[in-house]
Amino acid sequence: MSRRAPPGARTAAAASSGSTSSSALAAINTEDMCPVCKTIRYLNKDMEFLINPECYHSMCSNCVNRLFNDGPNQCPYAGCHRTLRRKGFRSAFFGDLAVEREVDIRRRVAAVFNQVEDDFETLRDYNNYLQMVEDLTFDLVSGTDAQRRAAEATLQQWEAEHKADIERNRKAGKEADEQSRRRLAAEREAARQRRFEALREAEEEKRERARSREEELDSLAQGEAGAAGGAQRVQLKKRGQAAASRAVEAAVKSDVAAADVGRLSIRGLKEKKKAPPPDGPYDPFGGLDFMPSRYKLRPGLTHPGVEKYKVDPAHITGGYNFDEYAARAMFEAFAGLGVFIEDEKEVGIGLSAGEVATMSAGIAAVGDKMELD
Amino acid sequence: MAAEDARYRQTSQYQMWSFSPTQLAAMRENTNAAARTRIAERLASLPAASNTTSAPTSSVNTPDPEGASISALPEFLSAPEEAQLMNFYTLELLRAGDHAEMPDEIKATAAAFFRRFYVTNSIMTYPPQEMLIVALFFACKAEGSFISITEFGKQFGKDNPEDILAGEFLLCQGLRFAIDVKHPFRALRGAVMELSTLPDIERNRLVAAEHRAREILRFSALMTDAYFHYTPSQIMLAALSLADRGVAERLITQTFHYVAPPFTSNNNSGSETPATSGPDAPSSNTKRNAAPRSSNNSGEDKSQIIGSHIRDKVLGTIEACRDLLSKELPERREHWTNKTVIKAQITPLRKKLTKCRDPDRWNLVELQRVRREQATKKGGGSDDGEPDDRTLESDAAVFGEALPVPPKRRKVGATDGGGGPGEGKGDPFGGPL
Repeated sequence: MSRRAPPGARTAAAASSGSTSSSALAAINTEDMCPVCKTIRYLNKDMEFLINPECYHSMCSNCVNRLFNDGPNQCPYAGCHRTLRRKGFRSAFFGDLAVEREVDIRRRVAAVFNQVEDDFETLRDYNNYLQMVEDLTFDLVSGTDAQRRAAEATLQQWEAEHKADIERNRKAGKEADEQSRRRLAAEREAARQRRFEALREAEEEKRERARSREEELDSLAQGEAGAAGGAQRVQLKKRGQAAASRAVEAAVKSDVAAADVGRLSIRGLKEKKKAPPPDGPYDPFGGLDFMPSRYKLRPGLTHPGVEKYKVDPAHITGGYNFDEYAARAMFEAFAGLGVFIEDEKEVGIGLSAGEVATMSAGIAAVGDKMELD
Repeated sequence: MAAEDARYRQTSQYQMWSFSPTQLAAMRENTNAAARTRIAERLASLPAASNTTSAPTSSVNTPDPEGASISALPEFLSAPEEAQLMNFYTLELLRAGDHAEMPDEIKATAAAFFRRFYVTNSIMTYPPQEMLIVALFFACKAEGSFISITEFGKQFGKDNPEDILAGEFLLCQGLRFAIDVKHPFRALRGAVMELSTLPDIERNRLVAAEHRAREILRFSALMTDAYFHYTPSQIMLAALSLADRGVAERLITQTFHYVAPPFTSNNNSGSETPATSGPDAPSSNTKRNAAPRSSNNSGEDKSQIIGSHIRDKVLGTIEACRDLLSKELPERREHWTNKTVIKAQITPLRKKLTKCRDPDRWNLVELQRVRREQATKKGGGSDDGEPDDRTLESDAAVFGEALPVPPKRRKVGATDGGGGPGEGKGDPFGGPL
């Protein structure tokens, strides 16, 4: 008991004093030791871990060389019966291999399902498509075996069916990438130019200021106050001029730059998108015509009923427009005069009287259908 | 298509509340039939407490051996009977409006509301005597004359505002939220304006015709289904024609004056309004109106808008409307208020109505309270299976999915009849499994 106590005490002390040592130990276990040959980093400074996207089991490069140099072999992990090849091994980008795997899968799915929004009739269709793709990806990443197989089958089927589309989209995507890269480059170039310009401006201004200061000092030395004032005024004016000219130049330059950048981006857009159908100016009334077609608004239209209001200060002062009243009354008198509810509700708008008359026999049948308004 | 007609076709009055006579009759039949079955169900599902409601009626009537026994169904109103009651209550509404000294527009709007509401709801379901007050109150608001509810209630001897407000939303639903009613009153003024520019119509004749036409519009148009079948301008012309046929026809012939030019396409050779270019001096106003028309209207279009064959059709429609209006000329007002007529025709119907009315929906205040309760419960209790369905269904009902609006079914629990309405619906999970 007494002999065993010290080690226990020591481990307890170690655990309590510094969790760093224990975590370092754990780190050695997971990160710095090859799970196949149990070599630790301490013994091999430039040990490198590789994975194969077949099964994402990591092992050190020595093991890979040792096991797979002579052609395909089984994964050395217990219970993993996948056949791996030397060529498939690579070093993982992410520390977490689950993430590595998901990213791989997503990359693969994205390469196949690479439709863009413009390929769809409506936004809704596009969203449905995205949803479908995401469902499929999720099945691949974390579905059950059956789900994964089904998703895989779908993926391959899609790839086979839409080979041409995929290829086209891939190219388009590349082009778009290229274009955005070019645009970025152009922007960067423009920004650099601007910075350079600004620097030069500052320099110039500084020189200018020094020069004017010298002049000022000179004039002061000559002792002519009026001249000094004049010089100052001139100098102020000059400075203003410089600022103005600078502003103009800058405006022109930025205009040019904007045009440059804008042209680039617009070209990119145009190639991607079809031109929208030209729609005329916005009509808030949805094509309704406000020109009276059955009557005319004459200036003299009035009604005995409104005469008394025409001299009523309460109405006149408020700016009540009696012509508007006349217009409205006239409109109501003639609006709907040619609307024949019985025909229209049973047969439909726009049929001539003769047609309706001949169809009147069939009205009962049609009317039943249209009964519910 | 004439611009005015296109604009009228945009109104809710045209889109939702215009029907051909056959359609309207069918809808009323549907409503009546639906109300019958529902009320029959409800009356049957009422527990023994229904004796309390049936007792007074049976004492009024001759003692009916079957009626005294538990649940013989009462005799329901037929659709024509409902229509007759409808007219009676419309007049009541107009009288109530007169009593409160409301302007014509409000009364007319209220009457239109009232009649529209009872297209899809049966008189047996909701109490007309209450609804006409509600319609009046809501019409005041719809026409922009806002009076306080207490003041309004006082005029009709209703001290509790809740009595009126309870039916308000119900009314709105029944109207499918179409609360703009187009009236022929202002149209009549427009017609008079137009007519007074004509040289051959004497002023006195016109004034008399307008007066009479207005009388007709204030009564006949509201007491009949004219608002459902005709547009305001047609109603107005029909009323004018009843008042003075010559004047109305003069206006129509003057409007639809266009004669197609014989096979020449030069329609814009100053042909706009050839008949009546006399009295008006060419002003900037008329020029502005005339210029685009003569330039972009082809002769064919014109004959469609103001040609002779459309005139004949309009004349036919107005004649039909005139016939309809002449059934309820303003003189018939006496008929509807005549004591003996009421006793002979209306009283029996009202008696019938008291027997066959809907036990759940007759009391609007109670109905409102129960619905509110349900609504709050719906908001609170999350694990109720039904509410989503119910709101969807009610949406469809409101916005006109199917026309006899299926009112939201309220569960009438077996324990619900006698006393606390709370206990019957206390169980948030519905009935027993």
